Amino acid sequence: MQSLNLKARVAAALACAAAATACAALAVAQPAGRVVEPTPEKQRMIDLGVEHGTAWDLYQHLKEQAGGGETLSWERIPDWTGVWTREASPFFWDPDQTEGTLPTAKLTPEYERRLLEKLERVEQGIEYDPLSACNPAGMPRWLVEPFLKEFIVTPEQTWLINEMMNEVRRIYTDGRGHPSPEDAYPLWDGDSIGFWDGDRLVIHTSQMREGQYQRIQPDYSEQVEVVEVWYKTADDTMVADVWVYDPPALVEPWYTRQVYKKLSNEDKSLRIRYWHCNENQNNVVIQTEEGTSDFADFTFTDADDRPAEAGNEGAAQ
Amino acid sequence: MTNKILAAALASLLGASAAFAHHSAVMFDDQKEITVTGAVKEFQYTNPHSWLLVDVTNEDGTITTWGFEAEGPSTLTRAGIRRSDFSPGTKVTITGNPMRDGRPAALWVRAVREDGKEFNPGEGFVIR
Repeated sequence: MQSLNLKARVAAALACAAAATACAALAVAQPAGRVVEPTPEKQRMIDLGVEHGTAWDLYQHLKEQAGGGETLSWERIPDWTGVWTREASPFFWDPDQTEGTLPTAKLTPEYERRLLEKLERVEQGIEYDPLSACNPAGMPRWLVEPFLKEFIVTPEQTWLINEMMNEVRRIYTDGRGHPSPEDAYPLWDGDSIGFWDGDRLVIHTSQMREGQYQRIQPDYSEQVEVVEVWYKTADDTMVADVWVYDPPALVEPWYTRQVYKKLSNEDKSLRIRYWHCNENQNNVVIQTEEGTSDFADFTFTDADDRPAEAGNEGAAQ
Repeated sequence: MTNKILAAALASLLGASAAFAHHSAVMFDDQKEITVTGAVKEFQYTNPHSWLLVDVTNEDGTITTWGFEAEGPSTLTRAGIRRSDFSPGTKVTITGNPMRDGRPAALWVRAVREDGKEFNPGEGFVIR
């Protein structure tokens, strides 16, 4: 029954796409999980995104509001030290998404169809993540990956580091612009420029590759662009207001507030170290002919069923 | 009613996915648990995932090496699980969600060492 319902949604989406019309069926078929209505503050941020037609327009607006922005000096560097991690479930892009509900993005029919087809496959046990091939998450997915993060602030660059796959986003705050169109090409984490508005870092990122926000989240296209405003709200809390623009996939910008928490690390045992994705053969995950995930051969099964040795007594239950 | 069913479907999807960042957990059966007792053969403390290999003696006297997968070193550190906690030969009783295809591997849920100390990799995602 669950499958049939998802299939019905997929079928409805396909019918809508074929007719090239807005589809009321999708609107009424929202699942019954508790959908969190935007707070007035969130709605204001959503509206701010909608008021600006492109990510660049929003970025320029924020720059005007900041009086053109400023460049930091070494004497005035905000304290973003520490080891951080995202607060919300890694599988929801929007922390306000709740179990039993669909992602909060307003998708185009084509990307709604793609999402529902993906959810249908997952429900059938068919799921494969390109990260299994040791690809980086890339932007904007970078924002919601779990594990450890560090934020290194200097006057001319800020490095936003995610432990997994050693992904470093360099945010240039020295006044430079993006590369010219002749020099631009799709990048895993895009090209990011920014300015400071007091202790707030405002970022515009473009030149990203297509990808997915997360495994059970929508896809984004190569036209995706992102505006972020990063700032601390407490010593242990970092906030990033994020607007994603992606005309092929989103009918309006997708605003979310991402929250990162500073981890207790009194003994300094938490350290970001080099992440080698291929160091252990037992972590090799392949995509099967059916399109799902499976481990390749394990190294530890080679010597199975050998005679027992003293001291290895035990049993499977 | 329709909405309730779809909500349940989505909840089940989330359950199926709520495991690993590097790969889907579809190869494990999250509705089953297997528990084995044996001696640590090796603790592969690696990224993106760690593997605790445990030698288990079967009823017929042969040995099977079971592999239990967990997150990488930093998440295990957050869970208080150090590489030195499972040196070769350490006696352990360990529980996990087994592979669907019957291979001797599982998603590590919890382990209890012979001295009674319990190790739960999932605690590595607790923010504190």
